[in-house]
Amino acid sequence: MTELYPSTPTALSRRTTLRAAGGGTLLLGLGLAGCRSAVSEAEAPAGQAAAAPKRGGTLTVAINSDFTPSLLFAQSGQSLQQRLVYNTLTRYDDRLKPQPELATSWEYAKDGRSLTLKLRTGVTYHDGRPFTADDVIFAVKNLQNPLRASQLRATAAAVAGFEKRGDHELVLKLAHPVNNLFDLFEFMILTDRNSVEDAVTGKKLNGTGPFKLTRWSPGAGLAFTRNEKYWQPDRPYLDAVEFRVVPQADALLSSLRTGQSQLSFDVPGNNLATVTATPELTLSEYATGAGALYLGVNTTVAPLNDKTVRQALAQGVDRERILKQVLGGHGLASATPWPKSSPAFSEAGRTHYTYNPGKARELLKSAGHSRLDLPLLHLGLPGDTAVAEAIQYDLKQIGVQVTLQPTDPATAQKKLISQSMPALWTMGHGFAQVQPSTLAVSAYPFNEAKNTSRFRSAAYTEVVREAWTTPETDARANALRRQITDTLLDEAFIIDLVIRGSVQVSAKKLHGVTLNKFSYLNLDDAYLAG
Amino acid sequence: MRGYLLRRLPSALLVLLIASVLAFAVLRLVPGDPAAVLAGPDASPEAEAAIRARLGLDAPLPTQYARWLGDLLTGDLGPSYAIGGQTADLIGDGLGATVELTLGALLFVVVLGAAFGILGATSRNRWVLGTVRILTTGALAVPPFVTGVLLVLLFSVLLGVLPPGGRVPLLTAPDLGVQYLLLPSLCLALPSAAVLGRYLKDGIERALAEDYVRTATAAGIAPRRLLWRHALPNALPPVVTLLGMQTGNLLGGAVLVEAIFAWPGLGQLAEQALIRRDYPVVQDLLLLLVTAFVLVQLLTDLVHARLDPRIRWE
Repeated sequence: MTELYPSTPTALSRRTTLRAAGGGTLLLGLGLAGCRSAVSEAEAPAGQAAAAPKRGGTLTVAINSDFTPSLLFAQSGQSLQQRLVYNTLTRYDDRLKPQPELATSWEYAKDGRSLTLKLRTGVTYHDGRPFTADDVIFAVKNLQNPLRASQLRATAAAVAGFEKRGDHELVLKLAHPVNNLFDLFEFMILTDRNSVEDAVTGKKLNGTGPFKLTRWSPGAGLAFTRNEKYWQPDRPYLDAVEFRVVPQADALLSSLRTGQSQLSFDVPGNNLATVTATPELTLSEYATGAGALYLGVNTTVAPLNDKTVRQALAQGVDRERILKQVLGGHGLASATPWPKSSPAFSEAGRTHYTYNPGKARELLKSAGHSRLDLPLLHLGLPGDTAVAEAIQYDLKQIGVQVTLQPTDPATAQKKLISQSMPALWTMGHGFAQVQPSTLAVSAYPFNEAKNTSRFRSAAYTEVVREAWTTPETDARANALRRQITDTLLDEAFIIDLVIRGSVQVSAKKLHGVTLNKFSYLNLDDAYLAG
Repeated sequence: MRGYLLRRLPSALLVLLIASVLAFAVLRLVPGDPAAVLAGPDASPEAEAAIRARLGLDAPLPTQYARWLGDLLTGDLGPSYAIGGQTADLIGDGLGATVELTLGALLFVVVLGAAFGILGATSRNRWVLGTVRILTTGALAVPPFVTGVLLVLLFSVLLGVLPPGGRVPLLTAPDLGVQYLLLPSLCLALPSAAVLGRYLKDGIERALAEDYVRTATAAGIAPRRLLWRHALPNALPPVVTLLGMQTGNLLGGAVLVEAIFAWPGLGQLAEQALIRRDYPVVQDLLLLLVTAFVLVQLLTDLVHARLDPRIRWE
């Protein structure tokens, strides 16, 4: 009997196949043995004991979204590179007290309408050009340009004139007194005026900062090298810094765990438990409160035009659960936007609305409702969806049925600006981490003149304008901050939920890293050792 | 052969033209615009209008389309709206990475697919057959984002022999580059390799069951010669078509794999550009992708025609 097909090729073909497969793998693995290893190559140079700062080495930072040069002058999701390439005039300490950077001293006129700045001498841009008062004038005017879309434009626009007193002294003349000028100085990077158009397309970043940008590969990351002529003697310690774009959360965590990168601020809250279980990594938190989660309410949609209904929603959300489940416990559940470092923070404000479904139902009933159906817009990203689902669950318990509307960031941004949000939405806001007045004049959701909630009130406008123009040290300043907080709580057009902390995950051998209030990475004193 | 190619060209060009209209129109139908993204959350209407005018978005849509197509034909892709830099540079950088990844994956597809196919069709060993079956079923059933995470866990976290992500270009440092390339290209290749393997297995089995093979066996022709000279060439034409189609799949699948392995290719660029409504980048990318598909298809047909004379005369 003949076999259906010959069985003899088996042995031969298997051998041939294996040979072919082996050849292919060999071809791909070209020189895997005996060559450099990509794994050890990626690791930072091994250091000795962590006792003293150590020079040299490359720090790799894992980021989840790429640098966007067109947003160089705006607060965006990725602002880490700003302080590597550029300096600012001043920087806040932990108690919001400005410290010198490129401005060495400053003095307000008695009427609060002008400020004299003394500038640091001997500072040069990366291309060798000296830094002068003209660069500060340019920086302020640049932020006044609507094309730059800077959130602090209103504050920059309050500077109506300049008086140059030589190359290193300058008087800023204000159209009206403002008390958040140092927020502007913390935010405003001092770019080179001759190459600013190249900066916003990412071609060339010329600054006075500790590192020079050597390469930007869109989607892959940025590479920086040490500025040998940095104005701070013997700084920075590091030879080079690399930003590597790792959009996927698991991949980002793997990159930290395998030592491929040594620093990240983008590990999602629910992954932080893995970090604490990894001995080579350490976790620290900046309580700057640079970001907060909130529930926005469109006050022109019935029945949300009734503030009792809005107060019921504020009472019906379990902030502690959102903090725990979405942010891994890193942050502060709060009914007001203020972090603990803010002069406007008060414990009474923070706990003004705590989870109380019974009281929420009562409030709804008193407003004449037992059941409501409302849409809720949210960003269709994992963390944002989790927040929206938590809100949906909580509100259901008080009789408010919520339909989720997942949306992509570009559309959400458009709706936010054009005030076309549905009844409810949830997103994040910034700007509560600096002077309280900045929030109401710069953060769009809170803007007294025009906000997404379409909330208008003459009293709110008045108190915001007065709070902005009253000197921060004035006795009245405290009362005004309290009034803003009380208005926000009473009107509940923005229902604050949780203030996020910036969570830093870093290799144990990395020391001396800090962030400023706008999440600019400062590596002047950073080093790798131990 | 030239005549065959000429017959195919007009339809290819028509596909490209339709694709350009769709790429332009579909994007504009999606809500959200680049000016709003650039203007940021505290922008005044004037700021948004200024940005819109600067980007040329205030012109009527047909004008915008004509402008884009005109620039494209003169080889000027223009600046990116939101990401920054020139569109051509952005796409050029990403293209190199994606081509590298796709070629690496293609090599894996061919090698693993051949191994799966030949072993599956000719082995008599139960264990070998079982393993091939489990591997191909697994490779097909498990989605790349799971395979990717598993590969990283095994090779990077547990064994620590390969990097979990990132890229060093092969041309810059081949020895490092190949190590970065191994995991993502393997992850990308697995499903296609399984499909190819199954096709090849069926083809070889069918060829080996033909009467002439039996006659040849009876005549004492060596089995190895039978497999390589007769069975494989006969099983090959449909497999080549399939390989062409799978190349398209690889290009599409690269988006996901690029995210898992932080591979800075076109997929990542497309995602970024889409989120920011960076119209020029997305439009050019879509058109590039369609062009690539059309070219691969043309090439596949040509190779197919070369392997099978009947097609040339159709």
